[in-house]
Amino acid sequence: MIAIEHLTHVYPAGRKTPARTAIADLSMRVEKGEFAILSGPNGSGKSTLFRILCGLALPSAGKVGIAGFDLLTQPAKVREVMGVVFQSPAVDKHLSVAENLAIHGDLYGLSGAEFRKRRDESLGWTDLGDRLDQKVDTLSGGLARQVELAKVLMTDPQVLLLDEPTTGLDPVSRRNFLDALHRLQKARGMTVLMTSHVFAEADDVDRVAIMREGRLLAHDTPAALKAMIGTEMVVIQARDTEALAVRLRDEMGLAVRCVGDELRLEETENGKSLPLLEKILDRCRTDLRSISIKQPGLDDVFVHVTSRAGDIGRTGA
Amino acid sequence: MSSLARVSASLARREFTRFIRQPQRVVGTVAQPLLFWLFLGFGFGGSFRPAGMENVTYLEYFFPGVMLMMMLFASIFSSITIIEDRDAGFLQGVLVAPVSRLAIVLGKVLGATSIAMVQTLIFTVAAPFLGLHLGFGSLVMVLGGFVLTGIGFSALGFLLAWGMKSTSAFHAVMMVFLMPLWMLSGALFPIGNVPAAMKVVMLANPVSHALIIIRAPFYAGPAVLLADNAYLLSLAVTVAWAVGCLGLSMARVNRRDKGVEAA
Repeated sequence: MIAIEHLTHVYPAGRKTPARTAIADLSMRVEKGEFAILSGPNGSGKSTLFRILCGLALPSAGKVGIAGFDLLTQPAKVREVMGVVFQSPAVDKHLSVAENLAIHGDLYGLSGAEFRKRRDESLGWTDLGDRLDQKVDTLSGGLARQVELAKVLMTDPQVLLLDEPTTGLDPVSRRNFLDALHRLQKARGMTVLMTSHVFAEADDVDRVAIMREGRLLAHDTPAALKAMIGTEMVVIQARDTEALAVRLRDEMGLAVRCVGDELRLEETENGKSLPLLEKILDRCRTDLRSISIKQPGLDDVFVHVTSRAGDIGRTGA
Repeated sequence: MSSLARVSASLARREFTRFIRQPQRVVGTVAQPLLFWLFLGFGFGGSFRPAGMENVTYLEYFFPGVMLMMMLFASIFSSITIIEDRDAGFLQGVLVAPVSRLAIVLGKVLGATSIAMVQTLIFTVAAPFLGLHLGFGSLVMVLGGFVLTGIGFSALGFLLAWGMKSTSAFHAVMMVFLMPLWMLSGALFPIGNVPAAMKVVMLANPVSHALIIIRAPFYAGPAVLLADNAYLLSLAVTVAWAVGCLGLSMARVNRRDKGVEAA
Protein backbone atom coordinates (compact mmCIF):
# COMPACT_ATOMS: atom_id res chain seq x y z
CA MET A 1 0.00 0.00 0.00
CA ILE A 2 2.93 2.25 0.74
CA ALA A 3 6.00 1.38 -1.30
CA ILE A 4 9.15 3.42 -0.77
CA GLU A 5 11.96 2.55 -3.17
CA HIS A 6 15.55 3.77 -2.94
CA LEU A 7 14.48 7.09 -1.51
CA THR A 8 17.16 9.73 -1.01
CA HIS A 9 16.68 13.28 0.16
CA VAL A 10 19.47 15.84 0.37
CA TYR A 11 18.81 19.32 1.72
CA PRO A 12 20.55 22.03 -0.29
CA ALA A 13 23.62 23.68 1.22
CA GLY A 14 23.05 26.99 2.96
CA ARG A 15 25.55 29.82 3.15
CA LYS A 16 27.13 28.38 6.28
CA THR A 17 25.91 24.80 6.25
CA PRO A 18 26.95 22.05 3.85
CA ALA A 19 24.32 20.01 2.00
CA ARG A 20 22.81 17.49 4.39
CA THR A 21 21.58 14.01 3.56
CA ALA A 22 18.40 13.37 5.53
CA ILE A 23 17.39 10.12 3.84
CA ALA A 24 19.87 7.77 2.23
CA ASP A 25 18.68 5.08 -0.17
CA LEU A 26 15.78 3.97 1.99
CA SER A 27 13.42 1.23 0.82
CA MET A 28 10.44 0.04 2.82
CA ARG A 29 6.95 -1.34 2.30
CA VAL A 30 3.81 -1.13 4.36
CA GLU A 31 1.29 -3.72 3.22
CA LYS A 32 -2.43 -3.14 2.87
CA GLY A 33 -4.24 -3.17 6.20
CA GLU A 34 -1.00 -3.10 8.19
CA PHE A 35 -0.36 -0.89 11.20
CA ALA A 36 3.27 0.21 11.15
CA ILE A 37 5.25 2.41 13.48
CA LEU A 38 8.24 4.39 12.30
CA SER A 39 10.74 5.36 14.92
CA GLY A 40 14.22 6.74 15.26
CA PRO A 41 16.26 9.22 17.28
CA ASN A 42 15.87 12.95 16.69
CA GLY A 43 17.45 13.91 13.39
CA SER A 44 17.10 10.42 11.95
CA GLY A 45 15.14 11.65 8.92
CA LYS A 46 11.67 10.67 10.15
CA SER A 47 10.22 14.14 9.69
CA THR A 48 11.68 14.48 6.21
CA LEU A 49 10.27 11.10 5.25
CA PHE A 50 6.90 12.15 6.65
CA ARG A 51 6.90 15.38 4.65
CA ILE A 52 7.68 13.45 1.47
CA LEU A 53 4.94 10.89 2.17
CA CYS A 54 2.42 13.71 2.72
CA GLY A 55 3.38 15.10 -0.68
CA LEU A 56 4.79 18.31 0.80
CA ALA A 57 8.37 17.77 -0.36
CA LEU A 58 9.98 16.11 -3.38
CA PRO A 59 12.90 13.74 -2.77
CA SER A 60 16.27 13.99 -4.52
CA ALA A 61 15.88 10.48 -5.88
CA GLY A 62 13.76 7.38 -5.55
CA LYS A 63 10.09 6.49 -5.84
CA VAL A 64 7.10 6.46 -3.56
CA GLY A 65 3.90 4.64 -4.44
CA ILE A 66 0.78 5.05 -2.32
CA ALA A 67 -2.40 3.07 -3.03
CA GLY A 68 -1.06 2.28 -6.48
CA PHE A 69 -0.37 5.89 -7.46
CA ASP A 70 3.01 7.51 -7.94
CA LEU A 71 3.16 10.17 -5.25
CA LEU A 72 5.77 12.19 -7.08
CA THR A 73 3.85 12.58 -10.33
CA GLN A 74 0.22 12.11 -9.23
CA PRO A 75 -0.03 13.84 -5.86
CA ALA A 76 -3.67 14.82 -6.45
CA LYS A 77 -4.70 11.15 -6.81
CA VAL A 78 -2.90 10.21 -3.61
CA ARG A 79 -4.45 13.09 -1.64
CA GLU A 80 -7.92 11.71 -2.32
CA VAL A 81 -7.25 8.41 -0.57
CA MET A 82 -4.92 9.60 2.18
CA GLY A 83 -5.51 11.11 5.61
CA VAL A 84 -2.82 12.91 7.58
CA VAL A 85 -2.61 13.76 11.28
CA PHE A 86 0.22 16.22 11.92
CA GLN A 87 2.17 16.61 15.10
CA SER A 88 1.03 20.21 15.56
CA PRO A 89 -2.74 20.56 15.32
CA ALA A 90 -4.08 21.25 11.84
CA VAL A 91 -7.40 22.61 13.04
CA ASP A 92 -8.47 26.22 13.42
CA LYS A 93 -8.54 26.83 17.17
CA HIS A 94 -10.76 29.89 16.80
CA LEU A 95 -13.51 27.90 15.14
CA SER A 96 -15.88 25.39 16.73
CA VAL A 97 -15.58 21.64 16.33
CA ALA A 98 -18.56 21.63 13.95
CA GLU A 99 -17.10 24.45 11.84
CA ASN A 100 -13.77 22.67 11.53
CA LEU A 101 -15.48 19.49 10.40
CA ALA A 102 -17.61 21.44 7.91
CA ILE A 103 -14.53 23.01 6.30
CA HIS A 104 -12.90 19.61 6.09
CA GLY A 105 -16.04 18.28 4.40
CA ASP A 106 -15.84 21.13 1.88
CA LEU A 107 -12.20 20.33 1.14
CA TYR A 108 -13.07 16.72 0.33
CA GLY A 109 -16.29 17.47 -1.54
CA LEU A 110 -18.62 16.02 1.11
CA SER A 111 -21.97 17.74 1.44
CA GLY A 112 -25.58 17.36 2.53
CA ALA A 113 -26.79 14.06 3.92
CA GLU A 114 -23.56 12.26 2.97
CA PHE A 115 -21.52 14.79 4.96
CA ARG A 116 -23.77 14.50 8.02
CA LYS A 117 -23.70 10.70 7.90
CA ARG A 118 -19.90 10.55 7.65
CA ARG A 119 -19.51 13.21 10.33
CA ASP A 120 -21.78 11.45 12.81
CA GLU A 121 -20.06 8.15 12.08
CA SER A 122 -16.62 9.53 12.70
CA LEU A 123 -17.76 11.34 15.85
CA GLY A 124 -19.30 8.10 17.14
CA TRP A 125 -16.20 6.86 18.95
CA THR A 126 -15.22 10.29 20.35
CA ASP A 127 -16.30 12.13 23.50
CA LEU A 128 -17.16 15.20 21.44
CA GLY A 129 -20.90 14.55 21.08
CA ASP A 130 -22.07 17.50 23.17
CA ARG A 131 -19.18 19.78 22.35
CA LEU A 132 -19.72 20.43 18.66
CA ASP A 133 -20.33 24.14 19.18
CA GLN A 134 -17.34 24.64 21.44
CA LYS A 135 -14.27 26.36 20.02
CA VAL A 136 -11.34 23.99 19.66
CA ASP A 137 -9.06 26.10 21.88
CA THR A 138 -11.41 25.57 24.81
CA LEU A 139 -11.01 21.78 24.58
CA SER A 140 -8.44 19.72 26.51
CA GLY A 141 -5.44 18.39 24.61
CA GLY A 142 -6.95 14.91 24.43
CA LEU A 143 -10.27 16.14 23.04
CA ALA A 144 -8.53 18.43 20.54
CA ARG A 145 -6.67 15.37 19.23
CA GLN A 146 -9.98 13.55 18.90
CA VAL A 147 -11.22 16.39 16.69
CA GLU A 148 -8.19 15.89 14.50
CA LEU A 149 -8.71 12.15 14.16
CA ALA A 150 -12.47 12.50 13.64
CA LYS A 151 -11.81 15.05 10.92
CA VAL A 152 -9.39 12.81 9.07
CA LEU A 153 -11.53 9.67 9.41
CA MET A 154 -14.58 11.47 8.02
CA THR A 155 -13.17 11.11 4.51
CA ASP A 156 -12.63 7.36 4.98
CA PRO A 157 -8.95 7.27 3.94
CA GLN A 158 -7.32 4.06 2.72
CA VAL A 159 -3.99 5.22 4.03
CA LEU A 160 -3.54 7.13 7.28
CA LEU A 161 -0.28 8.88 8.20
CA LEU A 162 0.24 10.16 11.73
CA ASP A 163 3.22 12.18 12.96
CA GLU A 164 3.73 11.64 16.71
CA PRO A 165 0.02 12.14 17.30
CA THR A 166 0.17 11.53 21.05
CA THR A 167 2.79 14.17 21.85
CA GLY A 168 1.66 16.21 24.82
CA LEU A 169 -1.16 13.89 25.88
CA ASP A 170 -1.44 12.48 29.40
CA PRO A 171 -1.14 8.67 29.66
CA VAL A 172 -4.90 8.10 29.85
CA SER A 173 -5.70 10.30 26.85
CA ARG A 174 -2.87 8.66 24.94
CA ARG A 175 -4.19 5.20 25.70
CA ASN A 176 -7.71 6.23 24.64
CA PHE A 177 -6.46 7.76 21.43
CA LEU A 178 -4.45 4.68 20.52
CA ASP A 179 -7.22 2.25 21.46
CA ALA A 180 -9.61 4.13 19.20
CA LEU A 181 -7.03 4.25 16.44
CA HIS A 182 -6.40 0.49 16.62
CA ARG A 183 -10.10 -0.33 16.70
CA LEU A 184 -10.89 1.90 13.72
CA GLN A 185 -7.89 0.67 11.78
CA LYS A 186 -9.07 -2.94 12.14
CA ALA A 187 -12.73 -2.14 11.46
CA ARG A 188 -11.95 -0.20 8.31
CA GLY A 189 -8.94 -2.14 7.11
CA MET A 190 -6.89 1.04 6.90
CA THR A 191 -3.17 1.06 6.28
CA VAL A 192 -1.57 3.11 9.03
CA LEU A 193 1.93 4.51 9.29
CA MET A 194 2.63 6.37 12.50
CA THR A 195 5.85 7.95 13.70
CA SER A 196 6.38 7.60 17.42
CA HIS A 197 8.97 7.73 20.16
CA VAL A 198 6.84 6.06 22.75
CA PHE A 199 7.42 2.34 22.63
CA ALA A 200 4.59 1.51 24.92
CA GLU A 201 2.55 2.35 21.81
CA ALA A 202 4.32 -0.15 19.62
CA ASP A 203 3.68 -3.49 21.28
CA ASP A 204 0.40 -4.26 19.56
CA VAL A 205 1.22 -3.01 16.06
CA ASP A 206 2.06 -5.20 13.07
CA ARG A 207 5.50 -3.86 12.30
CA VAL A 208 8.06 -1.47 13.71
CA ALA A 209 10.63 0.30 11.58
CA ILE A 210 13.62 2.00 13.18
CA MET A 211 15.73 4.48 11.29
CA ARG A 212 18.94 6.35 12.03
CA GLU A 213 20.83 8.83 9.88
CA GLY A 214 18.41 8.41 7.04
CA ARG A 215 18.74 4.63 6.84
CA LEU A 216 16.41 1.85 7.86
CA LEU A 217 18.13 -0.17 10.61
CA ALA A 218 15.36 -2.59 11.43
CA HIS A 219 11.89 -3.33 10.17
CA ASP A 220 10.06 -6.28 11.65
CA THR A 221 7.29 -7.44 13.96
CA PRO A 222 7.64 -6.35 17.61
CA ALA A 223 8.19 -9.98 18.67
CA ALA A 224 10.96 -10.55 16.12
CA LEU A 225 12.67 -7.31 17.14
CA LYS A 226 12.63 -8.28 20.81
CA ALA A 227 14.04 -11.68 19.94
CA MET A 228 16.99 -9.89 18.31
CA ILE A 229 18.46 -9.00 21.70
CA GLY A 230 18.00 -12.35 23.40
CA THR A 231 15.31 -13.20 25.80
CA GLU A 232 16.62 -11.60 28.97
CA MET A 233 19.29 -9.17 30.00
CA VAL A 234 21.29 -8.30 33.06
CA VAL A 235 21.41 -4.59 33.78
CA ILE A 236 24.10 -3.14 36.01
CA GLN A 237 24.63 0.29 37.46
CA ALA A 238 28.22 0.68 38.55
CA ARG A 239 30.16 3.09 40.73
CA ASP A 240 32.67 3.51 37.89
CA THR A 241 30.97 2.39 34.69
CA GLU A 242 34.04 2.44 32.48
CA ALA A 243 36.29 0.54 34.86
CA LEU A 244 33.67 -2.13 35.47
CA ALA A 245 33.02 -2.51 31.74
CA VAL A 246 36.69 -3.21 31.17
CA ARG A 247 36.81 -5.65 34.08
CA LEU A 248 33.75 -7.61 33.01
CA ARG A 249 35.04 -7.91 29.50
CA ASP A 250 38.69 -8.65 30.16
CA GLU A 251 38.50 -10.68 33.38
CA MET A 252 35.22 -12.47 32.89
CA GLY A 253 35.02 -12.52 29.09
CA LEU A 254 31.51 -11.09 29.02
CA ALA A 255 29.98 -9.25 26.04
CA VAL A 256 29.04 -6.05 27.78
CA ARG A 257 27.39 -2.99 26.29
CA CYS A 258 27.34 0.46 27.76
CA VAL A 259 24.04 2.30 27.43
CA GLY A 260 24.02 5.70 29.12
CA ASP A 261 25.22 5.01 32.68
CA GLU A 262 24.12 1.39 32.54
CA LEU A 263 25.99 -1.75 31.56
CA ARG A 264 24.01 -4.45 29.83
CA LEU A 265 24.61 -8.12 29.14
CA GLU A 266 22.06 -8.62 26.47
CA GLU A 267 22.24 -11.99 24.81
CA THR A 268 21.48 -14.12 27.77
CA GLU A 269 19.57 -17.36 27.31
CA ASN A 270 16.58 -18.02 29.53
CA GLY A 271 17.58 -19.36 32.92
CA LYS A 272 21.22 -18.32 32.57
CA SER A 273 20.67 -14.79 33.83
CA LEU A 274 20.46 -15.64 37.49
CA PRO A 275 23.72 -17.66 37.66
CA LEU A 276 25.40 -14.86 35.70
CA LEU A 277 24.09 -12.26 38.13
CA GLU A 278 25.38 -14.29 41.07
CA LYS A 279 28.75 -14.71 39.44
CA ILE A 280 29.10 -10.96 38.94
CA LEU A 281 27.93 -10.26 42.48
CA ASP A 282 30.56 -12.66 43.76
CA ARG A 283 33.43 -11.02 41.93
CA CYS A 284 32.53 -7.34 41.77
CA ARG A 285 30.08 -6.67 44.59
CA THR A 286 31.83 -3.53 45.81
CA ASP A 287 31.81 -1.94 42.35
CA LEU A 288 28.05 -2.24 41.94
CA ARG A 289 25.29 0.17 42.78
CA SER A 290 22.54 -2.08 41.50
CA ILE A 291 22.10 -5.18 39.38
CA SER A 292 18.91 -6.64 37.97
CA ILE A 293 17.42 -8.99 35.37
CA LYS A 294 15.13 -7.48 32.78
CA GLN A 295 12.88 -8.72 29.99
CA PRO A 296 13.68 -6.69 26.89
CA GLY A 297 11.02 -4.28 25.66
CA LEU A 298 10.89 -2.39 22.40
CA ASP A 299 12.67 0.57 23.95
CA ASP A 300 15.60 -1.77 24.63
CA VAL A 301 15.52 -2.82 20.98
CA PHE A 302 15.57 0.84 20.02
CA VAL A 303 18.60 1.51 22.21
CA HIS A 304 20.30 -1.64 20.94
CA VAL A 305 19.75 -0.80 17.29
CA THR A 306 20.43 2.90 17.33
CA SER A 307 23.39 3.24 19.70
CA ARG A 308 26.47 4.23 17.79
CA ALA A 309 29.64 2.36 17.02
CA GLY A 310 32.42 3.37 19.40
CA ASP A 311 30.25 3.26 22.50
CA ILE A 312 32.20 1.92 25.44
CA GLY A 313 32.09 -1.83 25.71
CA ARG A 314 30.28 -2.21 22.42
CA THR A 315 30.49 -5.76 21.23
CA GLY A 316 29.44 -5.33 17.68
CA ALA A 317 26.44 -7.55 18.29
CA MET B 1 -11.62 16.80 -6.53
CA SER B 2 -13.90 19.28 -4.86
CA SER B 3 -14.98 22.29 -6.87
CA LEU B 4 -12.76 25.35 -6.96
CA ALA B 5 -15.55 27.76 -6.04
CA ARG B 6 -16.75 25.74 -3.08
CA VAL B 7 -13.32 25.23 -1.56
CA SER B 8 -12.34 28.88 -2.08
CA ALA B 9 -15.59 30.08 -0.53
CA SER B 10 -15.20 27.74 2.42
CA LEU B 11 -11.65 28.93 3.11
CA ALA B 12 -12.58 32.60 2.60
CA ARG B 13 -15.52 32.24 5.00
CA ARG B 14 -13.13 30.88 7.59
CA GLU B 15 -10.94 34.00 7.32
CA PHE B 16 -13.96 36.23 7.69
CA THR B 17 -15.40 34.32 10.64
CA ARG B 18 -12.09 34.58 12.46
CA PHE B 19 -12.04 38.32 11.82
CA ILE B 20 -15.49 39.10 13.18
CA ARG B 21 -14.95 36.86 16.22
CA GLN B 22 -12.14 39.16 17.38
CA PRO B 23 -13.87 42.44 18.29
CA GLN B 24 -10.55 44.08 19.17
CA ARG B 25 -9.30 43.38 15.67
CA VAL B 26 -12.45 44.80 14.08
CA VAL B 27 -12.24 47.94 16.20
CA GLY B 28 -8.48 48.25 15.73
CA THR B 29 -8.50 47.90 11.97
CA VAL B 30 -11.21 50.56 11.57
CA ALA B 31 -10.06 52.91 14.33
CA GLN B 32 -6.40 53.01 13.36
CA PRO B 33 -6.87 54.30 9.79
CA LEU B 34 -9.57 56.65 11.08
CA LEU B 35 -7.15 58.18 13.56
CA PHE B 36 -4.45 58.39 10.87
CA TRP B 37 -6.88 60.11 8.60
CA LEU B 38 -8.10 62.63 11.17
CA PHE B 39 -4.67 63.42 12.65
CA LEU B 40 -2.86 63.79 9.32
CA GLY B 41 -5.91 65.35 7.69
CA PHE B 42 -6.19 68.17 10.22
CA GLY B 43 -2.44 68.35 10.86
CA PHE B 44 -1.43 68.93 7.24
CA GLY B 45 -4.66 70.71 6.34
CA GLY B 46 -3.21 74.19 6.84
CA SER B 47 -0.11 73.66 4.70
CA PHE B 48 -1.58 71.53 1.89
CA ARG B 49 -1.79 73.81 -1.16
CA PRO B 50 -0.65 71.87 -4.24
CA ALA B 51 -0.98 73.65 -7.57
CA GLY B 52 -4.30 72.93 -9.26
CA MET B 53 -5.92 71.53 -6.09
CA GLU B 54 -6.74 74.75 -4.27
CA ASN B 55 -10.26 73.58 -3.49
CA VAL B 56 -9.27 70.21 -2.05
CA THR B 57 -8.70 69.91 1.71
CA TYR B 58 -6.08 67.46 2.90
CA LEU B 59 -8.81 65.45 4.65
CA GLU B 60 -10.43 64.98 1.29
CA TYR B 61 -7.17 64.36 -0.57
CA PHE B 62 -6.06 61.70 1.91
CA PHE B 63 -9.50 59.96 2.00
CA PRO B 64 -8.89 57.39 -0.81
CA GLY B 65 -5.33 56.91 0.49
CA VAL B 66 -6.68 55.78 3.87
CA MET B 67 -8.91 53.26 2.12
CA LEU B 68 -5.87 51.93 0.35
CA MET B 69 -4.13 51.69 3.70
CA MET B 70 -6.99 49.53 5.03
CA MET B 71 -6.56 47.20 2.07
CA LEU B 72 -2.85 47.01 2.75
CA PHE B 73 -3.31 46.25 6.44
CA ALA B 74 -5.97 43.61 5.82
CA SER B 75 -3.57 41.91 3.43
CA ILE B 76 -0.68 42.08 5.90
CA PHE B 77 -2.79 40.56 8.67
CA SER B 78 -3.87 37.64 6.54
CA SER B 79 -0.37 37.09 5.16
CA ILE B 80 1.06 36.81 8.65
CA THR B 81 -1.39 34.02 9.46
CA ILE B 82 -0.06 32.13 6.43
CA ILE B 83 3.35 31.94 8.05
CA GLU B 84 1.87 30.74 11.36
CA ASP B 85 -0.55 28.28 9.73
CA ARG B 86 1.59 26.68 7.09
CA ASP B 87 4.10 24.65 9.07
CA ALA B 88 2.25 24.20 12.32
CA GLY B 89 -1.44 24.85 11.89
CA PHE B 90 -4.60 24.79 9.89
CA LEU B 91 -3.00 25.13 6.45
CA GLN B 92 -1.13 21.82 6.81
CA GLY B 93 -4.45 20.01 6.56
CA VAL B 94 -5.51 22.05 3.54
CA LEU B 95 -2.27 21.35 1.72
CA VAL B 96 -2.69 17.58 1.96
CA ALA B 97 -6.35 17.75 0.91
CA PRO B 98 -7.34 16.98 -2.70
CA VAL B 99 -7.98 20.62 -3.59
CA SER B 100 -6.72 22.79 -6.42
CA ARG B 101 -3.75 24.86 -5.34
CA LEU B 102 -5.50 27.88 -6.82
CA ALA B 103 -8.34 27.37 -4.34
CA ILE B 104 -5.86 27.67 -1.48
CA VAL B 105 -4.65 31.02 -2.83
CA LEU B 106 -8.14 32.26 -3.68
CA GLY B 107 -9.54 31.29 -0.28
CA LYS B 108 -6.91 33.34 1.48
CA VAL B 109 -7.05 36.27 -0.93
CA LEU B 110 -10.84 36.50 -1.10
CA GLY B 111 -11.07 36.21 2.68
CA ALA B 112 -8.67 39.12 3.16
CA THR B 113 -10.41 41.11 0.44
CA SER B 114 -13.84 40.68 2.00
CA ILE B 115 -12.47 41.84 5.34
CA ALA B 116 -10.95 44.91 3.68
CA MET B 117 -14.23 45.57 1.87
CA VAL B 118 -16.19 45.72 5.12
CA GLN B 119 -13.73 48.20 6.59
CA THR B 120 -13.60 50.46 3.57
CA LEU B 121 -17.38 50.38 3.14
CA ILE B 122 -17.80 51.58 6.72
CA PHE B 123 -15.37 54.33 5.84
CA THR B 124 -17.20 55.30 2.67
CA VAL B 125 -19.95 56.66 4.92
CA ALA B 126 -17.67 59.66 5.56
CA ALA B 127 -17.72 60.69 1.88
CA PRO B 128 -20.83 62.94 1.98
CA PHE B 129 -19.35 64.87 4.91
CA LEU B 130 -16.43 65.78 2.66
CA GLY B 131 -18.79 67.06 0.02
CA LEU B 132 -18.23 63.98 -2.16
CA HIS B 133 -21.42 62.57 -3.60
CA LEU B 134 -21.43 59.15 -5.19
CA GLY B 135 -24.04 58.26 -7.79
CA PHE B 136 -25.00 54.62 -8.19
CA GLY B 137 -22.69 54.10 -11.17
CA SER B 138 -19.77 55.66 -9.34
CA LEU B 139 -20.46 53.58 -6.24
CA VAL B 140 -20.28 50.42 -8.33
CA MET B 141 -16.98 51.60 -9.80
CA VAL B 142 -15.57 52.36 -6.35
CA LEU B 143 -16.59 48.91 -5.16
CA GLY B 144 -14.97 47.35 -8.22
CA GLY B 145 -11.83 49.30 -7.38
CA PHE B 146 -11.93 47.98 -3.80
CA VAL B 147 -12.24 44.39 -4.98
CA LEU B 148 -9.40 44.64 -7.51
CA THR B 149 -7.09 46.45 -5.13
CA GLY B 150 -7.94 44.11 -2.28
CA ILE B 151 -7.06 41.11 -4.45
CA GLY B 152 -3.87 42.78 -5.67
CA PHE B 153 -2.61 43.52 -2.15
CA SER B 154 -3.67 40.18 -0.65
CA ALA B 155 -2.13 38.16 -3.48
CA LEU B 156 1.09 40.17 -3.19
CA GLY B 157 1.15 39.56 0.57
CA PHE B 158 0.50 35.85 -0.03
CA LEU B 159 3.35 35.63 -2.50
CA LEU B 160 5.78 37.33 -0.11
CA ALA B 161 4.68 35.38 2.97
CA TRP B 162 4.55 31.88 1.52
CA GLY B 163 8.24 31.06 1.59
CA MET B 164 8.97 32.79 4.89
CA LYS B 165 9.87 30.95 8.06
CA SER B 166 9.11 33.64 10.62
CA THR B 167 6.69 36.50 11.08
CA SER B 168 9.51 38.84 12.10
CA ALA B 169 11.02 38.51 8.62
CA PHE B 170 7.66 39.47 7.22
CA HIS B 171 7.58 42.59 9.39
CA ALA B 172 10.81 43.70 7.74
CA VAL B 173 9.33 43.17 4.27
CA MET B 174 6.28 45.09 5.33
CA MET B 175 8.30 48.10 6.49
CA VAL B 176 10.77 48.30 3.60
CA PHE B 177 8.56 47.13 0.73
CA LEU B 178 4.80 47.14 1.34
CA MET B 179 4.54 50.42 3.27
CA PRO B 180 6.74 52.29 0.74
CA LEU B 181 4.54 50.99 -2.08
CA TRP B 182 1.66 52.66 -0.34
CA MET B 183 3.56 55.85 0.52
CA LEU B 184 4.72 56.25 -3.07
CA SER B 185 1.27 55.75 -4.55
CA GLY B 186 0.02 59.31 -4.20
CA ALA B 187 -1.93 58.32 -1.09
CA LEU B 188 -0.14 60.86 1.09
CA PHE B 189 0.94 63.50 -1.46
CA PRO B 190 0.32 64.16 -5.15
CA ILE B 191 2.69 62.73 -7.73
CA GLY B 192 3.18 66.15 -9.36
CA ASN B 193 5.44 67.82 -6.80
CA VAL B 194 8.28 65.35 -6.25
CA PRO B 195 11.86 64.93 -7.61
CA ALA B 196 12.00 63.36 -11.06
CA ALA B 197 13.51 60.02 -9.94
CA MET B 198 10.82 59.53 -7.32
CA LYS B 199 8.19 60.45 -9.84
CA VAL B 200 9.35 57.62 -12.11
CA VAL B 201 9.06 55.16 -9.24
CA MET B 202 5.62 56.47 -8.33
CA LEU B 203 4.33 56.17 -11.89
CA ALA B 204 5.68 52.62 -12.21
CA ASN B 205 4.11 51.61 -8.88
CA PRO B 206 0.94 49.58 -9.50
CA VAL B 207 -0.49 50.86 -6.22
CA SER B 208 -0.52 54.39 -7.72
CA HIS B 209 -2.84 53.08 -10.39
CA ALA B 210 -5.03 51.32 -7.84
CA LEU B 211 -5.35 54.65 -6.06
CA ILE B 212 -6.43 56.34 -9.28
CA ILE B 213 -9.24 53.87 -9.92
CA ILE B 214 -10.47 54.27 -6.34
CA ARG B 215 -10.20 58.09 -6.30
CA ALA B 216 -11.55 58.87 -9.76
CA PRO B 217 -15.20 57.71 -9.28
CA PHE B 218 -15.60 60.20 -6.42
CA TYR B 219 -15.09 63.02 -8.94
CA ALA B 220 -16.52 61.74 -12.24
CA GLY B 221 -19.29 59.47 -13.45
CA PRO B 222 -18.82 56.13 -15.25
CA ALA B 223 -19.47 57.62 -18.69
CA VAL B 224 -16.62 60.10 -18.35
CA LEU B 225 -14.18 57.64 -16.79
CA LEU B 226 -14.72 54.81 -19.25
CA ALA B 227 -13.86 57.23 -22.05
CA ASP B 228 -10.72 58.45 -20.28
CA ASN B 229 -7.51 56.75 -21.44
CA ALA B 230 -5.60 57.56 -18.26
CA TYR B 231 -8.30 55.84 -16.17
CA LEU B 232 -8.40 52.83 -18.48
CA LEU B 233 -4.62 52.50 -18.31
CA SER B 234 -4.76 52.50 -14.51
CA LEU B 235 -7.56 49.94 -14.59
CA ALA B 236 -5.47 47.71 -16.87
CA VAL B 237 -2.39 48.02 -14.63
CA THR B 238 -4.41 47.16 -11.53
CA VAL B 239 -6.00 44.12 -13.18
CA ALA B 240 -2.58 42.95 -14.39
CA TRP B 241 -1.15 43.39 -10.89
CA ALA B 242 -3.97 41.38 -9.26
CA VAL B 243 -3.97 38.58 -11.85
CA GLY B 244 -0.17 38.40 -11.99
CA CYS B 245 0.19 38.06 -8.22
CA LEU B 246 -2.55 35.41 -8.10
CA GLY B 247 -0.81 33.40 -10.81
CA LEU B 248 2.61 33.67 -9.16
CA SER B 249 1.14 32.70 -5.79
CA MET B 250 -0.46 29.63 -7.27
CA ALA B 251 2.79 28.58 -8.92
CA ARG B 252 4.54 29.09 -5.58
CA VAL B 253 2.08 26.88 -3.67
CA ASN B 254 2.32 24.25 -6.37
CA ARG B 255 6.07 24.00 -6.06
CA ARG B 256 7.16 21.37 -3.56
CA ASP B 257 10.53 21.84 -1.85
CA LYS B 258 12.81 19.52 -3.74
CA GLY B 259 15.88 17.75 -2.43
CA VAL B 260 19.08 18.37 -4.34
CA GLU B 261 21.17 15.78 -6.18
CA ALA B 262 23.28 13.66 -3.90
CA ALA B 263 26.92 14.77 -3.90
